[in-house]
Amino acid sequence: MENNQTITDATAIILTGGKSSRMGRPKALLLFDNEPLIVHILRALKCMFADAVVVAAPGQELPPLPATVARDEVPYQGPVGGIYYGLKAAGGEFCFVTSCDAPFLNVALVSHLLSEISSCDVVVPYWQERFQPLHAVYRKSVLPLLKDQLDRGELRPVFLYDKVRTHKIGEEEIRRFDPEGLSFLNMNTPTDYALALKRWQEVRQRTETETASSPVSVTVELFGVPRLLAKTKAVSLSLPQEATLSQVFSALAERLPILVGRVISSDGGNLFSGYACNVNGLEFVRSPSAKVNPGDRIFILSADAGG
Amino acid sequence: MHGFHGRLLHIDLNSGTASWHELQESRLRAFLGGIGLGTSLLYEYAPPGVEPFSPANPLIFTSAPLVGTGLTTTAKFAVVTKSPLTGFIADSLSSSYFALELKRIGLDGLVITGRSPAMTYLFIHNEHVEIRRADHLTGKSPGETESLIRSELNSSSVRVAAIGKGGENRVRFATISNEGRHAGRGGVGAVMGSKNLKAIALCGNRESRVADPKGVEAIADSLRQRSLGSLTDKYRSIGTVANLAVFNRLGSLPARNFQQSTFDDAEALSGETLTENNFSRRHGCASCTIRCERLFKSLNGEEQRLEYETLFALGPLCGIKDPEVVLRAAHLCDFYGLDTISTGGTLSWAMECSEKGLLPEANKLGLRFGQPDAFLAAIPAVAQREGLGALLAEGSRRAALELGSRSSYWAMHVKGLELPGYEPRSLKTMALGLAVSPRGACHNRSGAYEADFSGEVDRLRADPRRGSLVAASEDFAAVLDSLIICKFLRKCFSDFYGEGAELLSNVSGWNCSSTELRRIGERIHTLKKLFNVREGWQPDDDWLPQRLLSEVLPTGVARGTGLTSSELREMIQGYYKAREWTEKGFVPRKKLQELGL
Repeated sequence: MENNQTITDATAIILTGGKSSRMGRPKALLLFDNEPLIVHILRALKCMFADAVVVAAPGQELPPLPATVARDEVPYQGPVGGIYYGLKAAGGEFCFVTSCDAPFLNVALVSHLLSEISSCDVVVPYWQERFQPLHAVYRKSVLPLLKDQLDRGELRPVFLYDKVRTHKIGEEEIRRFDPEGLSFLNMNTPTDYALALKRWQEVRQRTETETASSPVSVTVELFGVPRLLAKTKAVSLSLPQEATLSQVFSALAERLPILVGRVISSDGGNLFSGYACNVNGLEFVRSPSAKVNPGDRIFILSADAGG
Repeated sequence: MHGFHGRLLHIDLNSGTASWHELQESRLRAFLGGIGLGTSLLYEYAPPGVEPFSPANPLIFTSAPLVGTGLTTTAKFAVVTKSPLTGFIADSLSSSYFALELKRIGLDGLVITGRSPAMTYLFIHNEHVEIRRADHLTGKSPGETESLIRSELNSSSVRVAAIGKGGENRVRFATISNEGRHAGRGGVGAVMGSKNLKAIALCGNRESRVADPKGVEAIADSLRQRSLGSLTDKYRSIGTVANLAVFNRLGSLPARNFQQSTFDDAEALSGETLTENNFSRRHGCASCTIRCERLFKSLNGEEQRLEYETLFALGPLCGIKDPEVVLRAAHLCDFYGLDTISTGGTLSWAMECSEKGLLPEANKLGLRFGQPDAFLAAIPAVAQREGLGALLAEGSRRAALELGSRSSYWAMHVKGLELPGYEPRSLKTMALGLAVSPRGACHNRSGAYEADFSGEVDRLRADPRRGSLVAASEDFAAVLDSLIICKFLRKCFSDFYGEGAELLSNVSGWNCSSTELRRIGERIHTLKKLFNVREGWQPDDDWLPQRLLSEVLPTGVARGTGLTSSELREMIQGYYKAREWTEKGFVPRKKLQELGL
């Protein structure tokens, strides 16, 4: 992600080892967008993560995958077992864990969850009054605690959250990236599967329309006063092709109106003189007419570095 | 005379006598007040080659023309002496009510020489000078000393600057503290301690007049308005601690004794996180509209001031990630009167030596990166020179020389002064500014990082043309530090030299031009250099620690970036050229004549 590169210190983990009993056939192999669902999800995650682990039950059939395949040492120990075996096999210090039955991954939300892990052990979304442990980021250091849970038969991930530094991401924050919460839509029955396929067609059509007019996706990272005002560290923005910094500021003003009049000028096209802009951590850019590139990370910070 | 009192007070602690001396208007016009006047007095009063702890080394306090004018951020004073840490000039600033009172004594400069036979404090009440016993104050913190003296003198209008145990024990990076603020860098508190001088208490009512009160008021009003705008938002809303998260993201946050320029746990220590979790109160100096100080509350309910430099030095630099530990360490440094940057810099040196097996004594104590207990225990040990603390009280350069082996490689200082929280390898203009600064590794006597953070230059690449940027930044700082105006107001001037000259003219009655003000800045900076040359400066002294020239940055956006010796040498040559000094960095006679030195 950073500088358009994949993330190298984090791993994506996909759990596939569930029984799929209500579905009646293995969920990982359901066809989705003309490919097995596990391939579809892995493809989405490999755009972000250099390292990926697929956790499967012993003997479970899988297509060839560009990932490490870890097998549950003891099958069907629920999500805690899957997370445990996934973390054990992961190369990264942080791991984004998801399941193979949630096809609507939102790259911006996953990226946001990862950006929040630095000062805690778990970053977990809380959507419609429920934790979403299978769409969360875990620090590898929680492994011993998960092992204890398995030994005690505590198969629900929430037991872990009380014991470590857990950062709950609330609904309002989630909606900034995924307004409908599609990320948490999973499929347990053939009806769920049919509905998801239909939804996928709709989303794809919408995305294709938007992509034609808004192909540039950038992430704005906020520091200091802007971060405190917006109560968030980063936002993802979709912009028209050939977009300029001025358009970034306008889109940011629309997304976070609280910044207008304090950080962003009232017409939305520039920053106030007390603020500066850095692109990808490398270049301080003063001209609002400078073009941005897809994947750019744009920092908004104080123009004064005095201390 | 307007804006000045035109006189100085010399107190000789050897004889216990005080004498008043006239200060010529021409001298004040050439050097202004603050650091400029202090440097000029240091050059005059310090015998060449004087030992910093010798009674003959003068400890100089100076006021400035803008003090007392009501202009925002100008309640400041300077302390100048020969540094026990560097052997060169130590010029430190502090601020608030003590600064106002110093001017109300009716002087522009206070020069203290000699040594009292026992611990004493000075009480100066207008022309009346009293040297009082301070046995009962020995061992007290600066804050306790201030309270005790004020109650002893039964006066709430008395203002006090004092040293803590660090100064009493001549810890080479001890501070002088007033109202919770510090003249922090270079060991001015150790020089005060060497004179057996615990504190200075002031009470005065001698007002100085300005030449054009209406003109001063108009500029003061305008600057007051500007000081409340976007350009100071960071300082007013979060304080300097805001630097930590963004420096980390830019790969400019020194961590673990400069092994890295990012810190994994930076978010936990960030100004934003502290503001959300620990904010207690906002505070400001006297006569200041910006009010940048932040007090944070620890879990036990105690309030502690925290600045970026303290946060960086007692946090990431030592591998400490718990804000509670940083707050505690900052409290200890304030209590004992220690410079937080040099404390962090020296302890992180010891931690690295401990981990590399060079300092078994530190290893035995558990002094390693990120270990809070040994870290917190080391600070009182330094202040009291107990055990390993006696070595560390000497600062990283001397401690490394004493320890020998390869330990100097990990002593991160310039001229003996430990580096501040700006990673030189990812801030190349700053790298040059640090290398050539007369007071050693300092972020205040030039703001060379400003160019790096502006987009004016590529901060990751070295370039010989940086010399003129650094020179301009030093001269600008010299003028600010001598008028005195706080640097946090600096961006509020659209044409600093023009507006500054007008302000100085309105205060002093002189018809000062922007060209003259620029020249004053250059003159002051050059005199600092001349003092250092007189005290033995050699070209090798303008250099950076070898680690910075040998290792590339291993993490963050600046990963792989380094700085080579030849790049640094070229930048230094560019700087000497911009200054019109000789190739070896000496000031030619022609330049001295040009500056009237």
